[in-house]
Amino acid sequence: MKPILEIKNFQAHFHTRRGIVKAVDDISYQILPGETLGIVGESGSGKSVSQLSYLRLLPSPPLKIVGGEVLFHGKDLLKMTAEELRQVRGNKISMIFQEPMTSLNPYMKVGTQLIEPLLIHRGHSQEEAWKKGILELKRVGISDPEKAMSKYPHEFSGGMRQRVMIAMALTTDPELLIADEPTTALDVTVQAQILDILKNIQKQTKMAILLITHDLGVIAGLADHVVVMYAGRVFEKGTAADIFEKSQHPYSRALLKSTPRIDAIQTQLPVIAGTIPDLSKLPPGCPFYDRCENRMDICRSVFPPKKAIDPGHETYCYAEMSR
Amino acid sequence: MNPTVVKISDLKVHYPIRKGFFSFGKPQTLKAVDGISFELKEGEILGLVGESGCGKSSLGRAIIRLVDATSGKVDIQGIDFLALKGKALKAKRPQIQMIFQDPYASLDPRMTVFDILAEPVKAHMKLSSKELEERIKKYLELVNLPVKALKKYPHEFSGGQRQRICIARALILEPKIVVADEPVSALDVSVQAQILNLLKDIQQKLNLTMIFISHNLSVVKYISDRIAVMYLGKIVEIGSRQDIFASPRHPYTQALISAVPIPDPKTERNRVRVPLIGEIPSPINPPSGCTFHTRCPFAVAHCKEAIPRLENVAQNPAWQVSCWEANLV
Ligand SMILES: Nc1ncnc2c1ncn2[C@@H]1O[C@H](COP(=O)(O)OP(=O)(O)OP(=O)(O)O)[C@@H](O)[C@H]1O
Ligand SMILES: Nc1ncnc2c1ncn2[C@@H]1O[C@H](COP(=O)(O)OP(=O)(O)OP(=O)(O)O)[C@@H](O)[C@H]1O
Ligand SMILES: [Mg+2]
Ligand SMILES: [Mg+2]
Repeated sequence: MKPILEIKNFQAHFHTRRGIVKAVDDISYQILPGETLGIVGESGSGKSVSQLSYLRLLPSPPLKIVGGEVLFHGKDLLKMTAEELRQVRGNKISMIFQEPMTSLNPYMKVGTQLIEPLLIHRGHSQEEAWKKGILELKRVGISDPEKAMSKYPHEFSGGMRQRVMIAMALTTDPELLIADEPTTALDVTVQAQILDILKNIQKQTKMAILLITHDLGVIAGLADHVVVMYAGRVFEKGTAADIFEKSQHPYSRALLKSTPRIDAIQTQLPVIAGTIPDLSKLPPGCPFYDRCENRMDICRSVFPPKKAIDPGHETYCYAEMSR
Repeated sequence: MNPTVVKISDLKVHYPIRKGFFSFGKPQTLKAVDGISFELKEGEILGLVGESGCGKSSLGRAIIRLVDATSGKVDIQGIDFLALKGKALKAKRPQIQMIFQDPYASLDPRMTVFDILAEPVKAHMKLSSKELEERIKKYLELVNLPVKALKKYPHEFSGGQRQRICIARALILEPKIVVADEPVSALDVSVQAQILNLLKDIQQKLNLTMIFISHNLSVVKYISDRIAVMYLGKIVEIGSRQDIFASPRHPYTQALISAVPIPDPKTERNRVRVPLIGEIPSPINPPSGCTFHTRCPFAVAHCKEAIPRLENVAQNPAWQVSCWEANLV
């Protein structure tokens, strides 16, 4: 199967007065149609910027795309004209973000916002689009969708707003859904409902989902493949089983071990000392060097090359880990 | 057995709701905390969990008198804390402290760490400047910050370090009781683990009694001895960590626990969840009878009509559940 999205050696930096912030520094991965790719990593590791930058949703300057390719069905999004990209974004590629209030217009009825992409991208009539909108709200579990169409965003709870966001992202039947922390602001009970809705819709439509989250539990439940990011780099990628059971990178392992879990009694949490480095003052080698328990001298000078563990399972680390 | 240090009886926090300017109807109230009672033994950590808006922060704030309780009692070592005034209140205040979620908002950006830590000490104790400095250094060390941090300002620290400063500030008056409201919720996993371990260490070292508020059940499981589960202003189940997580009796506790994702693909994908319909209803017009009946998969007709009370499970007074249909054996 051909990937739907292929990111190759992509680099995006911010040129600020403080210096160059290397938010995305040479990342490569791909996502296949119908699959869910989970991106994990701590705050500031570049998860959001790596998507927002090629979708041209960040002001430039300060953002500067430094290199690489982002191929959607083989066509480089970075080389498209603004008009060509608009045909893709919000249409074949849809997005949901963490904070629904910032992406919803508070002064517009939910229905009016919901059908906008249908009017723009699909040339539906107002009436047709309104009908489809009602179906979309129903699909994401909103009771009385006819009435909901005429409400304003503030009349909904956080969970309901996030459902509206999902409905909005799905109206155009996208082939790829980029969901950036879609449930982070929600209670676990509501999170479970929303993740179920996403799973069911994916089963019916075969859309690919690129799921960004710092919650390893959410990734474990949904992702077929996982990318672990740190300081703008990909540290490890593989199937969910590769990452959760056979990780070959000290950071992925440490992250997993330091996570409190409900299915275990933990007397002491193994911690990762220190914090993520300043991305404008990155050392030449591996950015995890200072915090790594397996560090060696070479790690300090040269970022490790790709190491293939199994087909599809790759890490960027010099250390030989027990398997 | 350790002595009881905190005894909370029938505590209520009702907020008056101001409706639109021209509405004349009966004034409404929002019952954020609606009749909560529990005890804390010395050196115990009670985890307080429940969905957003269930009243966790209101309860914590009422206990330390950051908001006024509508009624009820908070006994601290036998003294009715909510009834104290003037000098007596000032003398007792240092014994009960709070740590907040947002280490950014709770530190004055114009003060150095030294001044931040000195402020409460100066307000409550008469120390020479040498004694003050020694005390500040001692608490800085307790939270594993270097002495050179004293001259710096909050913005020069990471989120985790700022939370360390907040913890030092909360502990510097040697409180007996600490209410921690989502102290690690704004932190990354790796930093969260550092702060959780720190809190656990310090709690043991100082034999602190703690109320640990969080919506994250995995975190609460890690740190707490006992757990109280809140729903719409009431405790629906309370018990030891072991009992609550091994065999939760309230359908809400069961649903909450089963909704927490587990970072293991095999386990997570084969889990059976207790389904919860919809979201937490408004505390302004809570449902009749058992307020959970609108979302409960096991509700029967009776649950709509009659309000359940907390009853002992397995004849154990330390484990209580409030549900008409719960197994009490
Ligand atoms: N406009 C900007 N100017 C300079 N640096 C920026 C800008 N926007 C983001 N950054 C930096 O880019 C880095 C990556 O940010 P990004 O938002 O992608 O992280 P993330 O992994 O999504 O984190 P989180 O989990 O907190 O959402 C961060 O260090 C951030 O401070
Ligand atoms: N000062 C106030 N005036 C009026 N209503 C309030 C006030 N503070 C809180 N509330 C309401 O009281 C209820 C309980 O709020 P509280 O903040 O105690 O909940 P919580 O369990 O801490 O929620 P979260 O997990 O979101 O922090 C909510 O419905 C909230 O909107
Ligand atoms: Mg982000
Ligand atoms: Mg709160």
